[in-house]
Amino acid sequence: MNYTHFPVLSVMGLFLGGFLVEIFGSKNKTVRNIIVMLFTTVSACLMLYLTIPVFGRGEVISYWMGNWEPVGGHAIGIGYEIDGLNMFFVILVVLTYWLSAVYSIKYMEKDRHLGHYYTLFLMLAGSVLGLVCTGDIFNLYVMVEIMTFAAVALTAFRNKKGSNLEAAFKYLVIGSVGSGFTLTGITLLYMQFHTLNMAQLASLVSGNMTPVSVLALSFMFIGFGVKSFIVPFHTPAADAYMSAPTSISMVFSGMVNKAGVYGMIRLLYMVFRVIDKSAIQIVVVVFGAVTMFIGVTMALAQHDFKRLLAFHSISQIGYVITAIGLCSLMGMTSGLFHAMNHTLFKGLLFLCAGAVLYATGTTDLDKLGGLSKKMPKTTICFLIGAFSISGLPPFNGFASKWMIYQAVYEKAVVTGNFFYTFVTVTAVVVSVMTLASFIKVTQAVFFGQAPKNLANTKEVPFSMRLPMWIMSALCLFGGVFYRLIGRYLLIPAGQAAFNITNYIDAMLGESTAVSASVTNVSMDLADGFSYWNPIVWLVIFITVLIAVCLVLIMGSGSRGKVLESGKDAAEDGKYSTFFSGEKSEYSHVAGSDLFWGFKHNWRKYFGIMQSVHSGNINDYSLMTVICSALIVIVFTVIFI
Amino acid sequence: MFKKMVAASAAKSPWIYHINTGSCNGCDIELVAVLTPRYDAERFGFKLAGSPRHADIVVVSGPVTSQSKERLIRTLEQVPEPKVVVTLGSCPKSGNVFKGSYSVECPVDKYTHVDVSIAGCTPKPEAVIEGLYKAAQILKEKREAMNK
Amino acid sequence: MTGFFDIIENIIKALVFPGLLFATIGGLILAGFDRKVIARMQRRVGPPILQPTYDFFKLAGKETIVPHAANKPVYLAAPFVGYVSLIVMMTLIPIGGYSAFSGKADLIVILYLLTIPAVALIVGGSASGSPYAGIGVSREMVTMMAYELPLIIVFLAVARLVGGSSLEFSLQYINAWQVANGPVISHLAMIPAALAMLLVIPAEVGTQPFDVAEAETEICEGPLVEYSGLPLGMFKLNTAVKMFVMTSLFSALFLGGIYNGIHTGVTLWGIHFLDIIIRAIIHFAISLVVTLICMTTVHAVTARLKIEHLFKFYWTVVTGLALISLILVWIGL
Repeated sequence: MNYTHFPVLSVMGLFLGGFLVEIFGSKNKTVRNIIVMLFTTVSACLMLYLTIPVFGRGEVISYWMGNWEPVGGHAIGIGYEIDGLNMFFVILVVLTYWLSAVYSIKYMEKDRHLGHYYTLFLMLAGSVLGLVCTGDIFNLYVMVEIMTFAAVALTAFRNKKGSNLEAAFKYLVIGSVGSGFTLTGITLLYMQFHTLNMAQLASLVSGNMTPVSVLALSFMFIGFGVKSFIVPFHTPAADAYMSAPTSISMVFSGMVNKAGVYGMIRLLYMVFRVIDKSAIQIVVVVFGAVTMFIGVTMALAQHDFKRLLAFHSISQIGYVITAIGLCSLMGMTSGLFHAMNHTLFKGLLFLCAGAVLYATGTTDLDKLGGLSKKMPKTTICFLIGAFSISGLPPFNGFASKWMIYQAVYEKAVVTGNFFYTFVTVTAVVVSVMTLASFIKVTQAVFFGQAPKNLANTKEVPFSMRLPMWIMSALCLFGGVFYRLIGRYLLIPAGQAAFNITNYIDAMLGESTAVSASVTNVSMDLADGFSYWNPIVWLVIFITVLIAVCLVLIMGSGSRGKVLESGKDAAEDGKYSTFFSGEKSEYSHVAGSDLFWGFKHNWRKYFGIMQSVHSGNINDYSLMTVICSALIVIVFTVIFI
Repeated sequence: MFKKMVAASAAKSPWIYHINTGSCNGCDIELVAVLTPRYDAERFGFKLAGSPRHADIVVVSGPVTSQSKERLIRTLEQVPEPKVVVTLGSCPKSGNVFKGSYSVECPVDKYTHVDVSIAGCTPKPEAVIEGLYKAAQILKEKREAMNK
Repeated sequence: MTGFFDIIENIIKALVFPGLLFATIGGLILAGFDRKVIARMQRRVGPPILQPTYDFFKLAGKETIVPHAANKPVYLAAPFVGYVSLIVMMTLIPIGGYSAFSGKADLIVILYLLTIPAVALIVGGSASGSPYAGIGVSREMVTMMAYELPLIIVFLAVARLVGGSSLEFSLQYINAWQVANGPVISHLAMIPAALAMLLVIPAEVGTQPFDVAEAETEICEGPLVEYSGLPLGMFKLNTAVKMFVMTSLFSALFLGGIYNGIHTGVTLWGIHFLDIIIRAIIHFAISLVVTLICMTTVHAVTARLKIEHLFKFYWTVVTGLALISLILVWIGL
């Protein structure tokens, strides 16, 4: 079977599905669902088939559109290339859009104009898939543009609320600034090197940092920074994630900002190959650390479930950027692992937020409460997601965060730079704050007492729960069998990121890299899959748990009974909540009342953050442009 | 074995929850005095608990004003079995000087079974300790009765 | 057959020593000792050493009431999950230089495993549906944020002192290093870190003056307000076991390598069991001393802090102490 056609087929398939769903499916619900599920499933299967050659046999798949193969080492046509790194991101993208499509069927049924929704959805899916498959930098830009506009339109999809339109406008403005920078960067590169193929660019730019290419690098860094929402370009993210339908929020955090991360890796590791410069590493790690810190502290101050999750997306991307900025295999694998885990647990959490929105009609943390009795299954999924993101063993978030700490500390030891120790401490503290903000959601939404108007809340339907269960299971699997994932997925993907000669050779023919004197980015071989063995921990845990249960059973004769009120028991009396003797009444500790001791000590910081996040698009654009100018200056200083 | 351990521990760790139903505060001060170094009720395992859910012995002081009656009954309900109710001072027993007042609904045993009454206005700390110690023994008996 | 004996040996490790039985009994005795000594310091007779044990069994005999607002499964399971994870932690810490499951956990893992009991308390309290518990949960979480920062800095300082790379983070490595080079605390640069760790222990365990989360006089024992019967007893037991775990962690981090001379040579089925018993006893004695220094004495002379003062104290004084050590170690002193 000639599987080299599969990438382009899946990308085009998704775009084609986008048009068909508008033509045939805008009236009939069944036809629409069939078209969407058919195209997403087929393209997902086609792409997943490629794991066999790429990860199984270590091949690099290259494909030239219209058979315009390079002549004499000069690429003319558009090429698709899939190595381990691309394949890794492809898996994330495919998983996200497929689960989101399943979830959308039920979640979106109350909305109108669903034909438009699915058109945009499939365009978004196709563009991100194209972005991580392509080997042509202008094609990459085109995909970024399609992605941005589909994302903006989807943000404004529920356009009855003015705030949603405002969010889309913010996203549009800041996103366009980013795209503009990317395009300028690409133009500068093309002007200088007369090619758009990433492999060829890599062979030409490598070690050839002229002032123009430094400018191109900084512009493209800004562009992908905007797409992955790193601080200070994170400003539209919170509004966009909050306003978009939840199935789309999940896609945003699952694959849209991962596209930015992918671009960043390719940019720094391959096209410009500057990551082995320690100053660049420090710049990237500083961006990562600041992003994770500001993201999490802003999340602690939020009142809205989805907005809080949005700030956590920013924060977790900070971890990923920190890890990939380390330029070690351990850093790369841990960063990729965290990117993958972020897709899983943040998707799961967004789906839980969507379930809450579907069941109650609000995501305001101060208006919810006590849902765990009405929606027990959603609660379990949420707790798994929350424990994963806050890095409690044995869930996947712990495995990847642990590897990131190891990688950062390793870097501190190898370079002897105290700065990296500081970053390690920041990462751990951010993790605790993540836990804190999810405890806040747990207390405010799922536990505590239910307000009167939520008395008739029901559990969400099965087709919405299915993606949640799948993701919960994957969270646990990833945490327990992380060595397996490491061996078959992360290490090949991580090595592919460093192995640029292989990428260039597969694209432009054998020994192109050697003749262009490109060398691989050097890496140390430690991979960090050593001490933490969740299986041993789980086995001990279960042994002790069984022992405790046995003791409980043995002592059941002398133990006091567990008493529970019947359904028709009086509200007052033995089973009511203790209120110092008063009659039990509705009294719920809402999310914004928590962590007073923390917020009091940090009030000045929160004051500054509040004035920075003014919600005014003019301020945000100004901030973006000023910070972009600073980045250009920093990069110039580093290279010249 | 567990049965024996539970039975043996029943009287050795009585936790007290104190309800004031309109007391003049004299008895309350004496109850706290019992825990001070001079009298040290902790040597018998007595401890003041923060919530009725944790309590074994409920100490009621005061003449049960009509405002506090409902609260008293509700709090007593919330204490898990086995529990022992102790009245502290003369007020919950007889109403003392407040008897006959329009706002007083004593005695406590109209609303619940009282196991131990410590009389006096106010009772001496020694008397309080003795009463509480008796209450702990009653607690043990109730525990054994529950097992049968 | 060797496989079978290995399994039996591992089960004994998990359930008898240094796991379930050892940790539980040790923790209960430590807690009883703590209460007794506080009483003596206040010139009282005080409860018997076994008082925490009596408390536990008495609570086990009482009814458990599940309130209306509570989520029953989470509410009942939380204390047990916390307890089991504490026991598992105990098996991962070297006891008297003897590590039951060697090479299976490093300091970061320990740091995260330590959060599980606290999270169990938080989630359990939150699941009870009481507003008092809500306040308690908030305070517990802020306490956790407060002590986690100094704790990680202490860990990094120790790791930097004993070894080069991050792969040498493990407690077994630290123990082996101390056997070769003397206890960590004998290095002057590490004394501030040891002090910081001693200050972290009471907050982690939740004893006065850092018991803001479980303040029984103001918020009715916070997260525990609705608990009764066995689950309450389990939480009390968790506090006791946590005392033992934290003091063991302290002695494993700072006082390893003081068992060098202990070799009796008595073996049974190839295990130096007499050595292990003597070392366990010495280890327990050290735990008692650490408890005496950092919990009992402090408890006896202080009153409860306010939550914002607690946070400030940990992020300034204690973090400062830990940072001094880290910087001193980093510049090679």
